[in-house]
Formats: sequence, C-alpha cells, structure tokens
Amino acid sequence: MLERCLGSRRLRQMQRACRRGSLTFLCLFLTVIVLRGTIGAGKFGTPEQDLNEIRQQFYSRGRRVEPHRVLEEVQSTETNNNNNNNYATFDISKILKDEEGGDDEKRDPNIPYTLGPKISDWDEQRSEWLKNNPDYPNFIRPNKPRVLLVTGSSPKPCENPVGDHYLLKSIKNKIDYCRLHGIEIFYNMALLDAEMAGFWAKLPLIRKLLLSHPEVEFLWWMDSDAMFTDMAFEVPWERYKDHNFVMHGWNEMIYDEKNWIGLNTGSFLLRNCQWSLDILDAWAPMGPKGKIRDEAGKVLTRELKNRPVFEADDQSAMVYLLATGKEQWGGKVYLENHYYLHGYWGILVDRYEEMIENYHPGFGDHRWPLVTHFVGCKPCGKFGDYPVERCLKQMDRAYNFGDNQILQMYGFTHKSLASRRVKRVRNESSNPLDVKDELGLLHPAFKAIKLPTS
Amino acid sequence: MGQENNLAQKRTTSTGGLPTTTITSSSRNRTLPRGRQIQKTFNNIKITILCGFVTILVLRGTIGVNLGSSQNDAVNQNVIEETNRILAEIRSDSDPSDRNQTETFLSLNETYALGPKIRNWDTERKKWLTDNPEYPNFVRGKPRILLLTGSPPKPCDNPIGDHYLLKSIKNKIDYCRLHGIEIVYNMAHLDMELAGYWAKLPMIRRLMLSHPEVEWIWWMDSDAFFTDMVFELPMNKYNDYNLVLHGYPDLLFEQNSWIAVNTGSFLFRNCQWSLDLLDAWAPMGPKGPIREEAGKILTANLKGRPAFEADDQSALIYLLLSKKDKWMEKVFLENSFYLHGYWAGLVDRYEEMMEKYHPGLGDERWPFVTHFVGCKPCGSYGDYPVERCLSSMERAFNFADNQVLKLYGFRHRGLLSPKIKRIRNETVTPLEFVDQFDIRRQHTSSVESRN
Repeated sequence: MLERCLGSRRLRQMQRACRRGSLTFLCLFLTVIVLRGTIGAGKFGTPEQDLNEIRQQFYSRGRRVEPHRVLEEVQSTETNNNNNNNYATFDISKILKDEEGGDDEKRDPNIPYTLGPKISDWDEQRSEWLKNNPDYPNFIRPNKPRVLLVTGSSPKPCENPVGDHYLLKSIKNKIDYCRLHGIEIFYNMALLDAEMAGFWAKLPLIRKLLLSHPEVEFLWWMDSDAMFTDMAFEVPWERYKDHNFVMHGWNEMIYDEKNWIGLNTGSFLLRNCQWSLDILDAWAPMGPKGKIRDEAGKVLTRELKNRPVFEADDQSAMVYLLATGKEQWGGKVYLENHYYLHGYWGILVDRYEEMIENYHPGFGDHRWPLVTHFVGCKPCGKFGDYPVERCLKQMDRAYNFGDNQILQMYGFTHKSLASRRVKRVRNESSNPLDVKDELGLLHPAFKAIKLPTS
Repeated sequence: MGQENNLAQKRTTSTGGLPTTTITSSSRNRTLPRGRQIQKTFNNIKITILCGFVTILVLRGTIGVNLGSSQNDAVNQNVIEETNRILAEIRSDSDPSDRNQTETFLSLNETYALGPKIRNWDTERKKWLTDNPEYPNFVRGKPRILLLTGSPPKPCDNPIGDHYLLKSIKNKIDYCRLHGIEIVYNMAHLDMELAGYWAKLPMIRRLMLSHPEVEWIWWMDSDAFFTDMVFELPMNKYNDYNLVLHGYPDLLFEQNSWIAVNTGSFLFRNCQWSLDLLDAWAPMGPKGPIREEAGKILTANLKGRPAFEADDQSALIYLLLSKKDKWMEKVFLENSFYLHGYWAGLVDRYEEMMEKYHPGLGDERWPFVTHFVGCKPCGSYGDYPVERCLSSMERAFNFADNQVLKLYGFRHRGLLSPKIKRIRNETVTPLEFVDQFDIRRQHTSSVESRN
C-alpha cells in the first residue's frame, strides 16, 4: 500500500533512512548510558545510584559495608504490649520539626563569604568595656586569664547507638578538668551558619563568642572526641603573653614541609583581640559548603604534603594560611609541642599502665599527656577510620585514666582502666579535713580566689 | 545486506510479486557451500561473544556489578555481627572486674552507716575556712553552691536516653555558667549497696566533707531541666534553714502523701545538721532485704504510695513525719517557685508563657525547673507514652536554650526544632547588645565577701 502511495524508490529510500535512523538512535542510546555510567549526569544520577536506590528499597541496610567500619543497631524483634512506652522502638525524627519559615536567606554567590561585618577597633571597644565593668575582669589573678572552653556536638542523636554515651563521658571529663582549673564551659549544639557546616562550624561560633564575651581573655576550642587525661596540669599562660593563637604543632612541619598534620585544630587557644578576628576572617573563605569547599580541597591537596583528596577542612586551611602568610600571622602564632595540648591517641593509649607506674599527673607531656585526642574515631557517626572495638575500648580507658585522678580526691579509683566499677582506696575518716588527697587537687593553687586587698 | 534486500525488492517489484523471488532467494541460500555456512556461523558467534564481553565491561563500569559479591557479603556479615557484639558488651552491665564477686546484701539485723560518725563538723569547718581565706564560702555576697547530678556509668538501655542526658547536662552547664555555680557530674557508684536513687546520699556526704568551702550542695536529677535561666535562688530566705525542698506542708502533715515533697531538686547546707540527717536517712537504703522491708513500711504509712522497694523520697518524708520535732525546724518547704516543677502541667504552656511573661519569675508563669518525673528516658520503659515524654523534653530544652541563645542573636525555629534562626543581625558594635542581654549582668552584686 505504501508502495503505491510513495513510489518504490521513495519507499526504499525511506526504509533505508529508517534503518539508519534506528541504528543511529541505538548508538546514541548506548553512548548516553555509558557516559552516564562514567561521568554521571548530575541530578539524573548514575546507574550505581540507581542500583543503590533499588537495593535500599528492598533492604533496610545500606550497601556501604566495609571491614571494621560499620555500626548498626540490631533491630529488636520483640513486640510488647505497651509499645507506646517503649523507648527502643521510637524514632526521634517523628517529633523534631522546624517551624517559623524554613527558608534561609540565600547568600548572593557573587559576594564573597564573610563571617560578619568587618570590625576594626575591637581592641579599643573591648578595653573600654573592661574598664566600665570592673566586676568582670579578664584576668582572675595576675597570671591567670579568664578562659572559656568551647566544645559541642550535633543537636540530633548520634547515628551510632553508643555515640551519645561517649559524648556524655567526654563532657563530664571536661567539666571535671574545668571545675578544677576555674575555666567556664560553653557546650554548643546549634549550627550558627548553614554554609559553614561540619568541621567549619566552629568558626562562626568562635567569632560570636569572642564578641559576646569581652570578659573572656582566651577561648579554648576542644573537639568532642578529645579528653583530658592530666587533671593536675595547668596551662602555662605566661608563656603565651606575646602570642594570640596557640596550637599543638611543629614549626618545621608547617613552614618548611607544609605537612597537613603539622598542627592540630582540635584543641587550641585563641586570644580575644582584633588579631584573632582578622585571622578568623582570613581562615573562613575556604569553608562555605559546596563548590568553594570542594575547589579549596583540591588546592589544599595539591599544596600540602600527604594530604588525601577530600573537601577543604579547617586544619588544612590553617596550615596553608600559616605557610603562605608567615610574615603576616606567624609572629603571633605559638606552635606548642612541649606538652600535649593535643595528643594523638594512637601513640598514647597503650602506655597508660606504664605511665601510672613510672610517673604522676602534672607533666602534661609524653609522660602524662594533658589531652588524648581520638582523631579519626568518630564515635558519634557510623563510619570511622579505625576499628570500632579499638576506638571505644580505648576511649573507655582514657576516660577512666582521667577519672581516676578525680576519684582519688574522694578516696576512690576505678577497679581497672577497663572497668566502670570503682573501689575505695582511702577509708572514711572521722577527721576528713586532715586527709589530703595525693595530687592536691581538692584545693589547688590555681583555683584559689584572689582576695581583695581591703 | 541492505543492497541485497534492495535487489530482492527490485526483483519483487519488477515481477509483480511472483513467488519466484522468494524461491530464488531461498534457493540462493541453499546453494551456498557448507564451508561458508560454518564460517558465517563462527563469525556470528564471535560477534556475539565480543558484544557480550563489551556489555559486561560496560555494565561493570557503570553499575558496578561485581561477580565476586558473594564473598564480600559473607565478610560483611561477620563484621556486622562483630560490631553488634561489641555494642552489646558495652551496653551490658557486666564488667571485667566482676569475675570473682558475688553480690552480698546486708541482712535485716545489720545497720548501715554512711561512714564514721562525725560530731564536730561545724567547728572543724569554721576553722578550716579561717585558715584558708582564699577558699571563702561566700563569693561576691552569694554563698558558694555546688550542683550535683549524675547518671549510671553504663550506656542507657536505649540510645535516645543518652542523647537526652547530654542535653540535660548542657542545660545545667548553661544555667550554672550564668550563675557562678560549679557542677559535679557523678557517674560512679561509690557504694554498691546504695545504688539507684539512693546513690546521691554517699556522694552528698563525700562532697560536703571534701569541700568545706561549699556552703550549699544542690542535688538535681538528670531528668530535670532548668527552664528559667534568669531566676536566681533567693538564698537569703534560707539563712535559718539547712534543707530546702519543694513541697507542700498540707500534703505532708495532713495527708502524709508520698509526693508531698520532691527529692529531685533540693539543697543541703554543709553543716553538722545535714550530716546527721543523712545518717538518719540512709538506713532504709541498702539493697536487698532491708530496702524491700522498708518499702513495705513506707507503703503502709504514706498515702498513695504504690508497693515497691524503699526510695529516698518516701524515706525522707517518713523521716520528717515521724521525727517532726527533731528535723522540721530547719527544713524549708519551698513552693513559691518551682524548685521542682512537674512537667505535665507546664510543657504545653510554653508558647503562652513566651507570649505573656518573661524569664525571671520562676513560678507557674515561667517555671524555674521542669522535672520529667516518670519519663525515665534512660530506661526501656517509662510511665508515660514515649512520644509525649521526648517531645516535651525537647520543648523544655529548646525553651531554655532560647534564653541562652538570645545573647548571641539566635533562637530555635520552633520549640521542637533543633535548628536555629537569626533574630538579630551582626553588627560592628556588638557590646551594646552584650550589656542589654547578658543574663549574668542582670544580677549585679557587690564584690565583698562574707564569712
């Protein structure tokens, strides 16, 4: 029929064209599929993602399970009569909800990111305020500045079922140290700036706290996975009287090698002054989530030694800032390595028994570290860089190691570094005030109140 | 191939559709030599195999179909089991030091003592304070207070419990920072016999004796939240008293109710009287037959008490009732503000409070403390529905957190939201807001210290 309409030659041409067309389409289709698989097609995803989605629909577990890295809750299969009163089956996301307009003001991407409007006279403003408020001095005693320890965690429950318990032990540990040393604590659970999420969240927080607490002389940032293990060690404040930023690190590793772990931003001291506001402003630009952070990450991996490939983090950014701006910033930065303002846990935790035998608290260094920092353990998340058992067991040991120094004030100690139970080491006395604790932590000199001379 | 078809079709059209063409084409096939047929088949097979190979490569590259997946699954299963075992071990109550111990209980005949009897604590303490003027018991005109709270040493039975313990301690840290109060967070059972709610007694005694510079010890339960960050305890009201409890005299003396007072939030002065009261309070506490028997006595004597082992609150009420003349003179039953505020009547009114009132009142208009009795988020089961408890605790936490964040220019996006929003723009002169909003500076007091 078609032949009669179009004529035989025309028909043949059409058929040929059809065949070629279908071949072309087939090849085009294959090309698109292959490209989607290799390059990916943005929000249309990749076949790998498709497969993951399909899998997730059938299983409740995720696909990424790698040796030693997964922490998942065994789903309880018991059904109880009062399910309503059973905490184990409850899903917290049922109750959390945002009201009051969820739209953040979107920052214009053409304007570079700033932590806030530029303040240039903070030193003058602050000294004026201190003069007008003699009740809130920035120095409690001649060599003892007012210090605010800042730490924090997410306002949502940890993905790991025991993560919150370790956060609780960690904050108790910090409460104990700070009570002994007259330091105040600010525990942050709020994300001040959605763009600076993750490890960068500390920057807007630190700036906000510096500006809101002019009476604070030093702000001590400490990660939630860092624990105090020397309760008797007092930071040598007078050593830093000419410096504004104290971090644990080595000068050679930063300025000569540009090593990305040449310093650690998990535990550092920052003075409340104009210089600090300036360095925060200089530090922040690599932080904003998204393209800026990814691109910055590539720059940092290229420029710094041994840095793996991932988005920009605050520590690498600080290494880069110092290495490239030594004249501008280096003079006021003190890289401390005579004691463990940050102590990498891997080299410390196995030696606790040896330390107990050979040394005593108060050194703060390799003999008795001030801080044991569990970098890479990520107890709050599902995935860490180290085996779960090692991380959690060692965190227990570090906690008990520090807690023993507190308990000995009251005559107790843990039965062992792995045990939660405590035992008495000093009997109750009918003259309790005659009994002195060994370390002198009950009424230490660094906590005494300076009496008014009137 | 296309040309052959064309030729065939040409012939078809030219001969008008005679069947000769098909016969011709099929006969053409039959006349192909065998060898060529086999060759053609081989070619086809080769092409098929090649295409199949390429397909598998492409699929592997895109989707990642791994033919070795079965082995991986087995390994993963092992890892999952291993981590679950570790978690179960951490969350159990067993301890590596428990190996050789069997639990022994005090028999009914033995009496329990918190420690050796001390009779001269007031004089000893006064002497110590005189000898150590750098540790005064009054700082800036206010008595030195130590807040004591705690939780069991092992993880909660469910993860959400630990999360709310964390929020609770953050809440207490905030209040105490604003009011110059020190915190001791206890996670050790100092005395295995007085475990559970009785664990506070040995700890209070221990802290009193170790810290003579502390004037008041304030015990607060882990399920109690500060909801008025501005309110400060009117310590001058308690100059003549040694124990401050939230309670109602009529419930206590007329009705003998077991909830006449609440021991979830109370203050003990550091003095001989308190040590004596603790010694009189403790005997009902030791685990085992003593606690069981005492529980029966308490249920019999107190109105409304269910039957369970002796708890510290009922025991204290019984003590205050039975030895009224000895103890009540120095006990202050506070009910003009919510030193303990039962949560059920308060949590739904937070929005109304924010609209009508302001922090600093401490009473039913803006409760000082919201106490989640009965919720027991650290256990497996509470006395109330979980959703109600947890959403109420979240609301109380955010209600209080809003008061802290005000200084920084933020507030929560709703009382159930963990996210915050800005309520005040950043400025180049932040100190004007510090003067206006810092809660600490709203309580100006003199710098003198008083012994």
